[in-house]
Amino acid sequence: MTEEYGVGIGWRPEIAGFVADLPGLRFVEVVAESVHDHGPVPEGLAALRARGVAVIPHGVKLSLGGAEPVDPARVAHLATVAAKLDAPLVSEHIAFVRAGGVEAGHLLPLPRTREAVDAVVANVARTAAELPVPIALEPIAAVFDWPDDELTEAAFLTAILERTGALLLLDIANVYANARNRGTDPLELLDALPLERIAYCHVAGGAEAAGVYHDTHTDPVPPPVLELVSALSARRRPPALLLERDGRYPPAEQLRAELDAIAAASGYPAVT
Amino acid sequence: MSGDLARRQADLVAALTSGAPVPPGFDAHLVGVARTALLRKRAGEVARAWPMLAASLGSEWQATFAAWAATRPTNGSFRDGFDLARSLRPLTGEAARELAEREAAWHYDGESPPTRRSRAATTARTWLLRLRSR
Repeated sequence: MTEEYGVGIGWRPEIAGFVADLPGLRFVEVVAESVHDHGPVPEGLAALRARGVAVIPHGVKLSLGGAEPVDPARVAHLATVAAKLDAPLVSEHIAFVRAGGVEAGHLLPLPRTREAVDAVVANVARTAAELPVPIALEPIAAVFDWPDDELTEAAFLTAILERTGALLLLDIANVYANARNRGTDPLELLDALPLERIAYCHVAGGAEAAGVYHDTHTDPVPPPVLELVSALSARRRPPALLLERDGRYPPAEQLRAELDAIAAASGYPAVT
Repeated sequence: MSGDLARRQADLVAALTSGAPVPPGFDAHLVGVARTALLRKRAGEVARAWPMLAASLGSEWQATFAAWAATRPTNGSFRDGFDLARSLRPLTGEAARELAEREAAWHYDGESPPTRRSRAATTARTWLLRLRSR
């Protein structure tokens, strides 16, 4: 995504009306698995496409980090949805979601090992070969780490990006969550990542429970996450930033304020 | 430890979804936190797919779902809710109606994924249902 899209929002059926009413909006994201590959595109998305808003399919169930090869049917679905939406790119996670035939129901962290890098690289290659557009990879928020990490987070991610040629979808809220839970410095990670590979960023809210910060997507975006958006933008402003909200939707006024805050923190024009 | 990523991933998923022990070396407390968060997320997703079932349990929904799901990996929100609703029979009111309507519209043997019945079959079954509930 070489084009600057500014501030966007994750399109969800529950807030489709709100999203449709954003006058300056230039891009949204849709959960890829929620779009049928046969049959029409959801009405709200079709309307956005008609007014030139880019729609990025965001996969959550490919399991690119699984030791097993990605399911060709899931890859084909993602490719079809990307073509249907005329998407500039697609995105997925550096994570695994199933193993041994069992669904975890969530994005799970990988050990930061060379073996895991190999697994991701092989699956991204299998996926990219079928896709009509580039893929951006998103590092996740991990509640726990594996006991045998060989690489730092930056080295792990950089190795994957270099070997796959993929773009980076940097989730600022995940950077914040991981740093807070591990007691590390989020700016150190920003300084060590290849920021020029960022296709776009995620921004989301979270909450602390029992001493652990959870990237819930159902709480307000906390001020330190917005400060990180500013810190990143000062280093190298990402071409686009997207607010992710996945439930407990607040009044429209509050969502607008969050979008405006992201615009202010990154220096992009407000889309509201 | 290399070359066994597949097995180790499977062990971790089993610990998170099936009540299997936390694999050695992991922080058991944090894996437990992740397991709880996972069950909360699943409960929310199933509540969206089965709104009347969740509403009928009110404040007990979260705990009821978590107790049922703690050792059952997900088969998708719709099927999970189907299984849970059947296990909670006899249901009453809107929750009973929600289940009955889906029993009429879907063929589900509890083993393979539910498949939609033809429109004619659904209509016939809905009729039968109405007759029975008179």
